[in-house]
Amino acid sequence: MKFFIFLFVLPLSLLAQTNCQLTISGTLFSKENETLPGATVFVEELQRGTVADVDGKFSITALCPGKYTLSIKYLGYKDQVETVQLTKSKTLNVVMAEQDEVLQEVVVEDKFKTDNETQSVSVLSGKTLEEAKGRSFGEVLREIPGVGSIQTGPSIFKPVIHGVHSQRILILNNGIRHEGQQWGAEHAPEIDPFIASNIVVIKDAGAIKYGTDALGGVILVNPPALPVDATLGGELNLRANSNGRSGIVSGMLQGGSKKIQGLGWRVQGTGKKGGDYRAPDYNLTNTGFNELNFSTAAGYRKKNGSIEAFYSHFKSNLGILRGSVTSSVEDLENALQLEPPQGTKDFSYTIDNPRQEVSHDLLKLNGEWAAGKNVYRFQYGFQTNKRKEFDVRRGNLYDIPSIDLKLFTHTLDIEWAHNGTVADRSVGLNGMLQDNNNIFGTQRIPFIPNFTSASGGVFFIEKIRMGAWIVDAGWRYDFKHYNVSGYDYKNAPYRSQLDFHSMTGTLGASRGLGKYASLSTSLGSAWRPPHVAELYSFGRHQSAGAVEYGLLLDGSEGVLDINKSDYRNENALKWVGSLEYNRDKFSVEVSGYYNYIFNYIYLKPSGITQTFTGPTPYFNYRQTDASFLGLDVSAFYWLVSPLKVTAKASLLRATDETHHDYLVFVPSNRYELGLRYEQKQHRAWKNFYADLRLKYVARQNRTPAYLSMEQLTALQDAGEPIPSFDFMEAPPDYFLLNYSMGISHNIGASRIDISAGVDNVLNTRYREFTNRMKYYADDLGRNFTLGVKYIF
Amino acid sequence: MKFVSFTIARPVLTLVCLIAAAAFISSCSNNDPVKEDTPELITKATLTFTPAGGGTPTVVTATDPDGEGYKSITVDGPIELATGKTYTLGIQLINELAASSDPEFDITSEVRQEGDEHMFFFGWTNNVFSDPSGNGNVDNRNDAVNYSGGADSKDANDLPLGLTTTWTASSAAASGTFRVLLKHQPNLKSDVSDSNTGESDLDITFTIDVK
Repeated sequence: MKFFIFLFVLPLSLLAQTNCQLTISGTLFSKENETLPGATVFVEELQRGTVADVDGKFSITALCPGKYTLSIKYLGYKDQVETVQLTKSKTLNVVMAEQDEVLQEVVVEDKFKTDNETQSVSVLSGKTLEEAKGRSFGEVLREIPGVGSIQTGPSIFKPVIHGVHSQRILILNNGIRHEGQQWGAEHAPEIDPFIASNIVVIKDAGAIKYGTDALGGVILVNPPALPVDATLGGELNLRANSNGRSGIVSGMLQGGSKKIQGLGWRVQGTGKKGGDYRAPDYNLTNTGFNELNFSTAAGYRKKNGSIEAFYSHFKSNLGILRGSVTSSVEDLENALQLEPPQGTKDFSYTIDNPRQEVSHDLLKLNGEWAAGKNVYRFQYGFQTNKRKEFDVRRGNLYDIPSIDLKLFTHTLDIEWAHNGTVADRSVGLNGMLQDNNNIFGTQRIPFIPNFTSASGGVFFIEKIRMGAWIVDAGWRYDFKHYNVSGYDYKNAPYRSQLDFHSMTGTLGASRGLGKYASLSTSLGSAWRPPHVAELYSFGRHQSAGAVEYGLLLDGSEGVLDINKSDYRNENALKWVGSLEYNRDKFSVEVSGYYNYIFNYIYLKPSGITQTFTGPTPYFNYRQTDASFLGLDVSAFYWLVSPLKVTAKASLLRATDETHHDYLVFVPSNRYELGLRYEQKQHRAWKNFYADLRLKYVARQNRTPAYLSMEQLTALQDAGEPIPSFDFMEAPPDYFLLNYSMGISHNIGASRIDISAGVDNVLNTRYREFTNRMKYYADDLGRNFTLGVKYIF
Repeated sequence: MKFVSFTIARPVLTLVCLIAAAAFISSCSNNDPVKEDTPELITKATLTFTPAGGGTPTVVTATDPDGEGYKSITVDGPIELATGKTYTLGIQLINELAASSDPEFDITSEVRQEGDEHMFFFGWTNNVFSDPSGNGNVDNRNDAVNYSGGADSKDANDLPLGLTTTWTASSAAASGTFRVLLKHQPNLKSDVSDSNTGESDLDITFTIDVK
């Protein structure tokens, strides 16, 4: 067999040499063995280059034999020049040295390429990620333009990309599709930011390789590569916040083996504890949290292949503002008037009801084998997600969770990638099995039913270089089968079998424009099978005095047959175009998008029912066509050498196209202006920075109107349909001023980083439109932060 | 792109489940959830006005057999009281979705046991009663309501509870509405907590006729 391959390859390689078909490829590492995604590799002789992908890998093709000078650049690292005498295709591993004398911050959004080079991608890495790591995962992501969040109080952040969230965003934690109870607006992703060395956000629809559901985009959380040498290294992080009097300890230790070359391991852990946060004028009682996370990884890498095992555990206990407990609209209307909120007490670390207890475990095995230009990859993941939600209930029920769910997920991914001279190809399979269980004893009709599901898909991606253009195209097919069993509003059992399937495709192109600019554009479609919660959820759910019904539930007839309902799969068509310009002192990136989602599933207010607790509005999951039109801009300009001006803006217009109305929970337009001072070196101290940022968040004027209970009742009595509404007017616009600074010091071979800052410097009173706590209390007041990081 | 039946999925599911189950026993278990009791649901509230010194009690009920279904509660009535007569009002709350032998069936006893975190508030049309006078304590906690007439009138801390209350109908014929509001006030109930404190467990309104 090998002989035949040889026979086949030999003439090709001969041909290649004469036809300039050689390739230089390789991987870029830091000294800590972290891969460096987004580093640029430039061939001086040819004045052309490329950008390293997610794994720090690059490849320059169509080279003639000869001598080449590669200049490799990565912000925060010394420029590196490699001279290569090329007679046959070569693979390089380049270790980049950190830039000591120049004190450059790694920019927030390094544009870099993933498998689809024409995708719109943002990455959070280096210092910007380090500075943000003390926050929760969803809050960290807000550093990226176009990424916002739906918040429930100060510690629950759910990411929103280009206006869409929950089931419409895919999160890949260490390569594995993160599966929790993401349907809930107050369910944050169970991920510890300290695990990541970079976080990548792909904003195109149908980032095809990763699966269905990516209507808004994909978030990749990438830990650093495992070490391959025997040196023992690690880091220790300590952080403190004045608001909430919280503390964080995070540590990491890694090493290899002298005996077995290529063996590497890492252990990592984080502990967090915080008490009640504080708004400028009062405590936010019962908003404390604690979290305990750890992960461990081991791997073995040889020249042609690698195998790795990874395990992580995440556990958190989160309090929800006591004053947000309401059981009827009247309670809610009372709460809207009350300031400070009901039940406000002195500061405490106590976490009482309502609260959430969540844990998430991930076990992952993956391997890779390279044979010539072909790479074969597989990965298997097993996740267990446990969620308990405790509400304020009568008597013994107080200690019993009202939601108690256990979700098991198996995922298997297999991929074949071929890196050709003109075209790269990737073909793969994804499979997933899920089992969702209600744990008996909640003494409440389960909010979502039990289910098992099996889903799978195949994909095909091709990337072709055509002159200055890079064009990529992808196609994917998926199916999903559900086996559902639950209880309806009469507490009568039901069972359903559901099947969904569909296809998606993407097409994109990118090219350089002159020496300083580049352009990319892509059009993608995406679909998602519905989540069981959207079809069958029923009841009240730690939310504002409203009852929710799934798409297939009817409050008068029970469970509907999907074939007799007017359910249709949600489908998105999204265009993203980006223009980038980088020249000496000035850099700007502008990215526009338009996302049209057919059969968009949302909670529609449908009416008011008189219950024993008083008048209660009820919401049904319904479908409509929705559009999202937006623009993200980020730029910086060096005023004079140590002083830099930065600017960011995220603009978005979301519309319910069917009803010519607005959608709920759409982030309003926001702008940020920053001034950053950087001092290279002062004796043994270095890398000093001071950063002042002013953020302006506009009022959301495009929101369903506020309707009082009287107005709603009047409409209902007159037999009029109930329009989309909100329980209060959108809060006014606000300015926030944040300050941060930091410095580093070397002690022998180790380094210490010290940082300090103030959030909400002016102690401004404000309420954020996308924070569900806005109905009850002001947002956070001033917060002093202090951080120390020791790296050895 | 409407969904279609995908018959391959099920055997695939079974097969993969079997393989997976070998590795992880906890997964792919029996899928049916166990039926839960629902003690928080109130499906029937009964108000019994017993005349002092005997006589036929006046009984009214509010029912909501579908719990949190679309259907609104139905309230019968009116509450018919005789002019100038004094009554003891007893309130009974039950959950008919539970079997009558279950402890979940009788919500009244639960409220009684947790008297220190519950309080009934009452609101009515002015002049329907001669004692208490006024329009009730829904709008102002300090307004008069007679938390008397039985052991269930007050909680263990001698604060008003209101499972039993005393009422004297006005001496002249009158009609209007009568509202009963039960508030759950865990760690919030005090001698100043009012009808805006805590969460509503019950909020029903009847019509009332005094003649």
